[in-house]
Amino acid sequence: MSRSLLELVHDRPVLLDGAMGTELMSRGLSKGACPEIWSVERPEIVTAVHADYFAAGSDVVSTNSFGGSRIKLDGHGLAGRTYELNLSSARLARSAAPAGKYVAGSVGPTGKFLSPQGEFTEEEFEESFAEQARGLADGGADVLLLETHYDLREALAGLRGARRVTAIPIFVTMTFNAHPRGFFTLMGDSVAKCAAELERAGAAAVGANCTLNSEQMVGAVRAMRQATGLPLVAQANAGQPVLGADGDVSYSQSLDDYVKYVPDIVKQGARLVGGCCGTSPAFIRAMAPFVVRGASA
Amino acid sequence: MKDDLYRSMKEAIIAGDRVRAAALAQDAIGSGVDLLEVIEKGYVPGIQRVGELWEEGEYFLPELISSAEAMKAAMSVLDPELARRETKARTAGKAVIGTVEGDIHDIGKNLVASMLQAGGFEVHDLGADVALDRFIDRAEAVGADLICLSALLTTTMINQKRLIGLLRDKGLRDKYKVLVGGAPASAKWAEDIGADGYAENAVAAVKLAKALAGRG
Repeated sequence: MSRSLLELVHDRPVLLDGAMGTELMSRGLSKGACPEIWSVERPEIVTAVHADYFAAGSDVVSTNSFGGSRIKLDGHGLAGRTYELNLSSARLARSAAPAGKYVAGSVGPTGKFLSPQGEFTEEEFEESFAEQARGLADGGADVLLLETHYDLREALAGLRGARRVTAIPIFVTMTFNAHPRGFFTLMGDSVAKCAAELERAGAAAVGANCTLNSEQMVGAVRAMRQATGLPLVAQANAGQPVLGADGDVSYSQSLDDYVKYVPDIVKQGARLVGGCCGTSPAFIRAMAPFVVRGASA
Repeated sequence: MKDDLYRSMKEAIIAGDRVRAAALAQDAIGSGVDLLEVIEKGYVPGIQRVGELWEEGEYFLPELISSAEAMKAAMSVLDPELARRETKARTAGKAVIGTVEGDIHDIGKNLVASMLQAGGFEVHDLGADVALDRFIDRAEAVGADLICLSALLTTTMINQKRLIGLLRDKGLRDKYKVLVGGAPASAKWAEDIGADGYAENAVAAVKLAKALAGRG
């Protein structure tokens, strides 16, 4: 039996992957379409994106299932296919993974609010995430990656829902904004509070992704390091999106500028490092020596 | 006495206490005070303070939503009574708002809609994934001052630009102020596409809307 991802994380910093949605769009996914449907309709393209990330050096890729909760899929009229789409997404990543490489089942937010800000109950969120987690686990995910969560209550509901249906490790990344007083989620939860509650709820690793650029991520990792002893995940954006007049999107942080801060992210204690919006296999390839070599430094 | 009432109203809004905000509105109706003054001196200072607390980083999204809801609860008590007395709350303007077509994200849009309403605007919320023609049709139908366009995705924000083109084609561009918002939007984007303004968050959006609607 090969070693588990958590064992690898214990031994050295681990390289995750970068963005999926923009990679699919650059390969023809139409704007506004549901990316998860491509796990069934265009599986060869999804597999090719995973393969590109593995070739770039990723130890772990995340599945094409970010918007795969039942509640989110319902917005595309696909709620009835929740299990199937997640199962397929995990199988594709599994099939692309060379021996000794890993698959993280991506679980993004529902896009809806819990009561009292919204209409949903925590129980409904749990159900929605449990169904997604079951598909991802059945499809062969090694771990779940609950990512880009801006509401701690929603992330905790995801943890509970996933735990009901699978025993695989669950990683959780929250999305923080940089405030003068520190890093806070949209809902106002601090890094310390998120880390403590997620740890208590049984997360195997916690971290931050999206919104922050790689320079800001250094500070977020430092704050998390002070708050928990769990392995830390860091996946920064390549700055902010900038739209050209022709509708083409670029990101404000160049590859060189992005990579410049990666050694610091590792040095501050991140053990699972990858990219988020605006990153690509080229970013991962450029980061690889700084993440994986960081172990022996 | 009136000052105590106004202070309680302001506090109810700041605390996001919709039950108390509505009960105080009921008290005001019973006691026969000028309801327009109640709004201006009681509730409005509350929502203004909430905006300041947000800008100071003390309040976050849940507090903002609760306070907007409390404001809505008070106004839903006051509005029918104002209508009966044949007076009308001074409206800051009329706004048509929605998330552009191809985009189902509505968290930011809902928050801006709530805050605009709390800020005294008559708000026509078309929801998410709204066909561009519908924005214009509704704006024409209700005599709107503002058209507010939300987009979360870098792939759908181009529809903000397309709407401005549509308004131009119909010869309606100067009739409406067009505001854009959403994670990928920026002041520069607004300028590039010829929109009238961009706001980074819901509090800033209300300020901008008031400045642009010119009814202040």
